[in-house]
Amino acid sequence: MSGEAGYAKPLPTVTHEDREFWAAARQHRFVLPECRACGHVWFPPYASCPACLSFDRGWTEASGRGTVWGFTIMRQPYIPSFEPELPYNVVLVELEEGPMVYSNLVSIDNDDIACGLAVEAVFEDVTDKITLIKFRPS
Amino acid sequence: MSDREFAGKTAIVGIGSTDFAQLYRSTDPERTGESLATEAIAAAIADAGLEKSQIDGLITGGLPHYEPVAYRTGLTDVRFVVDYPGAGRMCAMALMHAATAVHHGLADYVVLFNSVVFRSQGVKFGAQGQGLLYDTIYGMASPGAQYSLAFTRYQAEYGGTEEQLGAIPVAIRSHARMTPGAIMQQEMAIDDYLAARYIAQPLRLFDYCLINDGAVAYVVTTAERARDLAHPPVLIAGTAGRANFREWYVDLGFWDEACRSMKADLFDPLGVTTDDIDCLQVYDNFSVSVLWGLEGFGFAPQGQGLEWVQNGRIALGGELPINTSGGMLSESYLQGWNQHAEAVRQLRGQAGERQVPDCDWSLYWCLSALPGASLLCRDGLL
Ligand SMILES: [Zn+2]
Repeated sequence: MSGEAGYAKPLPTVTHEDREFWAAARQHRFVLPECRACGHVWFPPYASCPACLSFDRGWTEASGRGTVWGFTIMRQPYIPSFEPELPYNVVLVELEEGPMVYSNLVSIDNDDIACGLAVEAVFEDVTDKITLIKFRPS
Repeated sequence: MSDREFAGKTAIVGIGSTDFAQLYRSTDPERTGESLATEAIAAAIADAGLEKSQIDGLITGGLPHYEPVAYRTGLTDVRFVVDYPGAGRMCAMALMHAATAVHHGLADYVVLFNSVVFRSQGVKFGAQGQGLLYDTIYGMASPGAQYSLAFTRYQAEYGGTEEQLGAIPVAIRSHARMTPGAIMQQEMAIDDYLAARYIAQPLRLFDYCLINDGAVAYVVTTAERARDLAHPPVLIAGTAGRANFREWYVDLGFWDEACRSMKADLFDPLGVTTDDIDCLQVYDNFSVSVLWGLEGFGFAPQGQGLEWVQNGRIALGGELPINTSGGMLSESYLQGWNQHAEAVRQLRGQAGERQVPDCDWSLYWCLSALPGASLLCRDGLL
């Protein structure tokens, strides 16, 4: 469905807090907020550092590598636009840099997903403005 | 709050509930949370043997606004008012607040309640995600899916089967069948549990709590005043909270730290141990919450909770009955409030055929983003 104009699923509401994150994703770069005061790296991209409350926020390039902490196979159409894909997976990935992110695993059968699986980021251009970060086995 | 000085100085003296099963059978688009709350409040005040004019504190829960229910109940001149959002995790917090208020003289008799109109309004939990971590973009929707995701991790770390997990909803269902007003009255064996569809795999339909309408109210006062009232007082031995705010909702350690912290707050000042607890009335939003609380509070060894709950151990007649009125899985999703009402009935010795023999201590926990716990006991033990 890459690049489809008729992408029907929910899209992020880009705000002042995460505009730079989505702009980087558009360029197929995975960046994480990093505190210039204390070095803490966090996600999602709040405007201020949760560790020291500094608003002096920079960005660091993430490796895109992580491991699957847990996963679930969605069987019920909570979100109508996802119904055609049932059953689909949702994973919680622990990034090498520490933060946890939700995503979907691609290039794998749902039956083969396992906790601890090493994964890497892939970029999916879903509209002409938004690129989603997903993961595949690495 | 759980220090020795506070323990047992306050009590739940009145409980009132709507008829959950009747409300479930007859949905009504015009049903209001205010009218359900009024019904529960009236029942709780009557149960306590109080006059309405004696109520001088009000803690509301689950309603869009706190004021309309005050007009409907005539509780318009109370000294203490707090409004809690309609979130299940707030039950222990509201009880904590009521107890501290009466203990410190902010009010003499506090009415607190939770009122929900979920089924009649077609509420679906998870139609939208929480939106905290770009959930819906990836199709992550519903708290159940988040608990399911944590259960895959639990299984990877400790093993255990879906069939073993089914022992929890099966035991709790057997209790609902003995409870007037409980919604789920059909017999459920493990095969029925396994035959039900997956919602978010590996969790199935009966791992999930109900979605229904109803209200539960309590009256809380000091233990001293309680001893002059209609029923034997049920003492609030302690309450505890320990936030676990995570954008992805579930705790990566299955709430072990939160449970240990709350257990230490509740048990240590009193010298209470898990052996003292006669029944658990806990927040079973999902079957796995029961499992992780059993391990976190030290009833079951870490990682062995699924074996521990087998063979009737958690059913009435077993070593540690859990959710003896059917909990939220089978009695009613009143978000912890029906569990405390059942704890009061058990500790008063009024649970009829469900009565746990010599029931002295009952423990509650809720494992969510805002875990809370409470310990209740019979009078004379503190
Ligand atoms: Zn910082």
